[in-house]
Amino acid sequence: MAEEKQNLLQLYRFCFLMLADAAEAQEVFHATLREAAQLAAGSEAPRNRLWFFRNARWRCLEAGEQGLQAEAVDLKQDELAESAPSQIEKLEPQQFAIWISGAPEPQRTALALFYLDEFNYRELLSVTELKPPELSKLLCDGRRQFQAWLDATLPRTET
Amino acid sequence: MSAIQLSRKEKMLVHCAPIREERVDDRALRTALHRARKTEAFAVQQNFDTAVAALVQSIPIPEEITDWIPPDTFIAPRRRRWQKYAQNPAFLATGIAVLVIAIVGIFQLVERMNRFPGETTARRLLTTASSTHAMMLDPVKTDAGALGDFLFMKHRLVRYDVPPEFAELKTLGCRVFDDEEGQRVAQIWVVEKKMQFFLFPAERDPKTGKAREFSGWRSIEQEHWAGVVKEDKGVCFMATLRGSAKDLAQYVSKKKE
Repeated sequence: MAEEKQNLLQLYRFCFLMLADAAEAQEVFHATLREAAQLAAGSEAPRNRLWFFRNARWRCLEAGEQGLQAEAVDLKQDELAESAPSQIEKLEPQQFAIWISGAPEPQRTALALFYLDEFNYRELLSVTELKPPELSKLLCDGRRQFQAWLDATLPRTET
Repeated sequence: MSAIQLSRKEKMLVHCAPIREERVDDRALRTALHRARKTEAFAVQQNFDTAVAALVQSIPIPEEITDWIPPDTFIAPRRRRWQKYAQNPAFLATGIAVLVIAIVGIFQLVERMNRFPGETTARRLLTTASSTHAMMLDPVKTDAGALGDFLFMKHRLVRYDVPPEFAELKTLGCRVFDDEEGQRVAQIWVVEKKMQFFLFPAERDPKTGKAREFSGWRSIEQEHWAGVVKEDKGVCFMATLRGSAKDLAQYVSKKKE
């Protein structure tokens, strides 16, 4: 399959989801592009578009290590609700980024990349370095945990 | 909705289902999604994911970035280098096949270029040369070039002349015999390198009866024996020895009138 063009601004959104901080996200975004430019100048241009996301991911993880760490706790999970889209509509992107950035690795990366809606299944596995059952479980649990958080934050208005 | 039961693997794949249809490029995933679309749970998951993806797309891009990078800037996919294509099994197999065909073609072409009328007879006589003993020939000690008259006078063989390149070599013996096809063949044994000469009728066109001519010297090799053949006025001359064509090259390369 031919490689697709990748909107460069999605890389910034990925960094923002990972860090929930615009300034830090910009810093990682710029650092990633700078390294790509340096490699390209040395005739060693990044091998593919996934390189940008892998590189940004590790930078985000490094940046994240310096701040507060998410505790490994079993978050409450709820079944996905039909009314979830209306709950999500009421959210600000910043709120979702805070929730994602608080998830433990590698769930954080998996969710951030998945909801960017830029990658196919194989690419997701490649960037997250996960096995299919692991990725599946992280995404499934992530949805349910986010639904539980939505229910706690913005209670459902069942029709 | 119908109560479709998804297998464990299908459930695993469905949980990873990309939000956009065009991102589904995996066969197993496509099959799983085909079945999952008939379930209510999948519709709920799709709506959930679509809403979250829309939320992500609404993340504002800071001015510092949009000023520097226009919104429609893309990461261009890297051009595949020829080495990458070469590693593709399909290209590799095709390349090997083309190479083998080319090599076989070249061999056949070279072989065809070396063929000449009378080659079959020449090869047969090369076998004869390898099994001949000097004692089988009538002793004749003279210059090879002088045997043309002898062959004409004694055996009525016209134009059975040894070419100038080999005419000065001293002979040990000579005989004339009929080969399998009833052709009159003259065999001469010379001192130098225990070479043997053969003179035989050139191959003829079955329709016209004319001798098939060819120019210059042609070489053949067979079971450690080598020969060089030349046609002149309907008669072929072949010099043979045990060795390779290189051993005869020195004789045929020198021009003699």
